[in-house]
Amino acid sequence: MNDQKPSVSPAFRIASIAILAAVTTVLTRVVQIPLPARGYINLGDVAIVFSALTLGPFSAALAGGLGTALADILSGPYAFWAPISLIVHGLQGLLIGLIVQVRPRNILLQCLGGIVGMIIMAGGYLLAGVFLEGAGPALTEVPGNIIQGGAGVVLGILVAAAVIRAYPPVRQWKW
Amino acid sequence: MIVEFYRPGNSALHRLDPRPKMLFLIVVLIAFFLPSAPWVLLVFTASIVAVIAFFLGPAQLLPPLKTLWPILILISLLTAPFHRAGLPVLRVVDITLVTTEGLNMTLVLLLRFLGITFGFFAVVRTVALDDMVLSLRWFGLPYAACLVMTITLRTIPSLAATWHNVVDAHRLRSGLDGRRRRRRIVETYGPVLTSVLIEAVKGIPALAMALESRGFGRRNARTSYAELKKGRALVGDMLVLAAASAALLWPVFFRW
Repeated sequence: MNDQKPSVSPAFRIASIAILAAVTTVLTRVVQIPLPARGYINLGDVAIVFSALTLGPFSAALAGGLGTALADILSGPYAFWAPISLIVHGLQGLLIGLIVQVRPRNILLQCLGGIVGMIIMAGGYLLAGVFLEGAGPALTEVPGNIIQGGAGVVLGILVAAAVIRAYPPVRQWKW
Repeated sequence: MIVEFYRPGNSALHRLDPRPKMLFLIVVLIAFFLPSAPWVLLVFTASIVAVIAFFLGPAQLLPPLKTLWPILILISLLTAPFHRAGLPVLRVVDITLVTTEGLNMTLVLLLRFLGITFGFFAVVRTVALDDMVLSLRWFGLPYAACLVMTITLRTIPSLAATWHNVVDAHRLRSGLDGRRRRRRIVETYGPVLTSVLIEAVKGIPALAMALESRGFGRRNARTSYAELKKGRALVGDMLVLAAASAALLWPVFFRW
């Protein structure tokens, strides 16, 4: 396949969204990192930040939203969070991608995009949690979401840089 | 990795068409979010729990409860302090801990959370994801979006296997034990993530080529190997779940 103009191909877009959505689901569902104090965090946010930095805002929005929604459906008891995850993580990926798109190699913009995405994610889940669980329980989930989002930003930026360095063609796949 | 929460079976819930079941979920959401008295929500939740216990077996009620009990405890403990109106129900010395409004809201949130959880649980437990995608297609979701979902579902198991293989390879090379891994998240997961992500993105052009060579983008008619119910069978299922929806919503319309 021609690497110079992959973005014009609808098949390439379908393939990139599907693969990145699968990556997001796997990192959300399979990988659970134990925290030093208590509990676990997942790496779903890493996949979203990575998608936004390497393949652009629209891949990140669609893959991030779909991937996390599928992870919720596959988890069973959390299936009803799927529509919320679809919107919240979709918006997170889109905003990170749009901010980074201004100057793709600027590390400060990458961090800013990641932080904005983290705020959107924590705020979105807080808002949904207030309706579903009440304000008290929803507020208790905010610190965990911020830790998870922060870890996602740090690891996502590092991993995106490493992947671009190890596999340069990915630089031309943004759309 | 087990890619689906769905468990095959031959119960009446399994045999119902996925499309009315998915529409029923919307009814469940409406029923639980409309302002109703706690006893109405209790009847809704008890009905959904009874349906799951009767058709899928009481043991099926345990997995959601095992996962959700911390949230249920948090809702029980933390809702009352945010709702202070009404008469005091629980007082310690001169401090009112729980009021009638607080107790009412706690019950509403607990029952809403449980009811919606069990409603979604009943559907994802009895509908295969492929049928869910077919149903979404029937509801009008574009073909490309359904194709993305299908490819994603097919890719997840192989990517999960790749993740485990890379983790094992890195563990063999570095000899890290569990305690050290916990202390060095970036150091440990960075190389693993990089390897897995490179492997994943390398698959994108190959998949795009495969899609193009299989005719993606052409306008000719497509064949489908799987089909949902048609005709009387579908109408019958729709009627069953319409009756269930009416039963769920009538107390709301009578403002109980």
